[in-house]
Amino acid sequence: MPYEALDFYDVDSLLTDEERMVRDMVRDFVDEEVIPKIEHACRDGVFPDEWRVALGEMGVLGAPLEGYDCPGLSYTAYGVICRELERGDSGLRSFASVQGSLAMYPIWDFGSEEQKQHYLPKMASGEWIGCFGLTEPDYGSNPGDMITKAEDMGDYYLLNGAKMWITNGTIAQLAVVWAKLDGVIRGFIVEKDDPGFSAPEMKGKHSLKASVTSELVFQDCKIPKDRILPGVKGLRGPFSCLNNARYGISWGAVGAAQACFDSAKDYALSRIQFTHPIASYQLVQNKLAWMLREITKAQLLAYHLGQKKDAGTWIPEHISLAKMNNVDIALEIAREARDIHGANGILDEYCIMRHMANLESVKTYEGTHDIHNLILGRHITGIQAFTREL
Amino acid sequence: MTIAVLLKQVPDTTAKISVNGGRVDENAVSKWSFSPYDEYALEAALQLKESAGGDLVAITAGPARCEKLLRDAAAVGADTLVHVSAENINDLDSTQVQNLLAAAVQKSGASVIFCGKQAADTNAGSTGPGVAELIGASCVTLVSEVSSDGSEYTATRPSSAGHEKVAVSAPCVFALDKGITEMRRPNVRGIMMAKKKPIETWSVDDLGIDIGATGVSIDSHSPPAEKPPGQKFEGAESVSTVVGKLRDEANVI
Repeated sequence: MPYEALDFYDVDSLLTDEERMVRDMVRDFVDEEVIPKIEHACRDGVFPDEWRVALGEMGVLGAPLEGYDCPGLSYTAYGVICRELERGDSGLRSFASVQGSLAMYPIWDFGSEEQKQHYLPKMASGEWIGCFGLTEPDYGSNPGDMITKAEDMGDYYLLNGAKMWITNGTIAQLAVVWAKLDGVIRGFIVEKDDPGFSAPEMKGKHSLKASVTSELVFQDCKIPKDRILPGVKGLRGPFSCLNNARYGISWGAVGAAQACFDSAKDYALSRIQFTHPIASYQLVQNKLAWMLREITKAQLLAYHLGQKKDAGTWIPEHISLAKMNNVDIALEIAREARDIHGANGILDEYCIMRHMANLESVKTYEGTHDIHNLILGRHITGIQAFTREL
Repeated sequence: MTIAVLLKQVPDTTAKISVNGGRVDENAVSKWSFSPYDEYALEAALQLKESAGGDLVAITAGPARCEKLLRDAAAVGADTLVHVSAENINDLDSTQVQNLLAAAVQKSGASVIFCGKQAADTNAGSTGPGVAELIGASCVTLVSEVSSDGSEYTATRPSSAGHEKVAVSAPCVFALDKGITEMRRPNVRGIMMAKKKPIETWSVDDLGIDIGATGVSIDSHSPPAEKPPGQKFEGAESVSTVVGKLRDEANVI
C-alpha cells in the first residue's frame, strides 16, 4: 500500500506552493531511498552514507539558513522537511536536525565571517557532517553545570572533558562543542583530526538504531584560536540551537505519528478476526479516531508554530509546548498502533515498533518531556522549579 | 537548438477514480501527477540538453491546474514553461489536442520534441505520431534512450531482434517508453528557481489556429468491473480442485 499521509483538516493546503514542492521531493526520497533500506540500516546499526549524499543533493540541510550556499527556506518548510524525514525514521530526521540546527546554525549565527565561509557551504552540501557537544555524562537536563573546560594557552585553546549522547559524533568532520572558558560557556569548533580529540561510538541502543550516537572525548585537545565562536557567551548559545532543533522535532513527531496511523489503519482493515476486519470493531475504531484527533491537533500546533517562527513572534515556551505535546502523542500513537497490529506489530515488517522505540529517545532528547513541563510551569507561575536547596 | 517536451497532467496512479454522471469526476481526484511515460520523456530531454546543449521548453495543454506540472518540470531543469490554456481539454479529441500541441511546438521554435508514448489516463498513444505528422517531422516511437552527435539524433527502440538504433535529423519527435533512467529528483535550488519562472500562457487565439470540430463523441465513462471475490479452499482433499482451477481457469500451470 502506498503511504497516505493523514491530513484530516487539509492543513497542508495552508503551505505555499514551494513548501508543498519541497514536501513532495522529500516524501519521494523517503519512499524510494529510505523505506526500502531502513530496517537493514537498523539491524546493522548504521546511518547509510547515501542518505547524507541525497540530503545534500536535495539541498535541505540547514534549511532555514540564508547565504553561504544554504537553502534559505522558511521555517515552515524546515518543519515540513523534518516531518517527511521522520515519517521514514527518527534517526534520519535526527541527522538533519543536528546538521542544520545544532551544527550549522551556531556557526551561521555566532561564527566569524571566515568561519561561515569556510564551513557552511560544505555542510549545506553534506560534504562535511557536523555534531553538537553539550550534554555530558553527568549533566543532561542541567547543562549549565558542565565540567568540560577550555583554557586559553596564548597560541591555542586547550580543551578537556567529555560529552555524551552526541548524534553524528563518530561520522562528523567537525563538532560544535560548548565548554567553559574562565567559567563562561563558549562555543568551539573542533575538527575530527585535532590532537587530543576522539569520538567513540556508543553501541547497544534499542532506539535510533540507524543513527550514530557517540561520546566526544577531549584530552588536552589543542585547537587553534580562530575556532572559538565569537558571537555568543553563556547558555544562550546552545539554547538558541536547541530552540531550532526542538521546533523541527515538533514537526518530525507528526511524521512518525502519521506513519504509525497509516500502518495501523491498513492493518486494521485487512486483519480478519471473528470473520470480520478488526477495523469494524468499536474498540479499534476508538483507537483510530483518537489517533486521528491527536495527529490533527499536533499538525495544527506545528503549522501555527511554524508561522510564528517565520513571523518572529515566537517564544521558547511555544516550542516547548509543541515539542513536548507532539512527541508525547506520537509515542502514544506508536504504542496504540503496535497494539492494533497485535503480534505482527513486533516484527520489522511494520514500521511501528521502530518508531515507538525511536520516539522513546525523542521524548528524552532536546529537553525531556518533564523539563518542557517545567519550562511551561515557570512561564505560567514565574517560579522556576528546576532546582531548589535541599 | 530548442528542445520541447510535451507533458500531460493525469490523475496520480494512486488516486481513486470515481465516475459520476457517465464521466470521470475530476473534482474527486485527490492528486494529479505527470503521466509516467512523460517523466521518461522529460528526463531524456534533460539529458539531451545537458549533452548537446540548447534550451528546454516544457509544454502542456489543459486547464489551470496544469501549471503545477510546469513548475515541477522547471524544478528539475526545464528552461521555458508554456501552458496552452484549454479549460475544455476533455471535450477535445486527440487530433484537436495534437493541433494545439503542434502549433505550440512551432511557436516555441523547437525542432527536437519529446513526449511519452501514451498517457496514463486515455492511453491513446497518438500524441507523438500526430504532432510529428502535423509539423512534418520524423517520429520514433517506443524510445528508451536518445543521443546526439551534433547533427543527427539516435534513438534506441525495441525491434524483433532485440533493440535497434534509429538515426533521424531534426525536426524529429521521440515518443518515450520506459527509459533507462527515472526522472531525477528536484532540489531546493531548482524549486526556488521554478517559483520565480514565468509561465507563458497561450490561448487557441494566440496560436492562430483553427482546431476544427471534434469528430469523436464519448458516450460515457464507466469504472472497470469489480474483480470477482477470491476463492478459498481448505484441507488436503481440495488440492485436486485447486490444481484443476489453476490449470483450467487461471491458466497458470
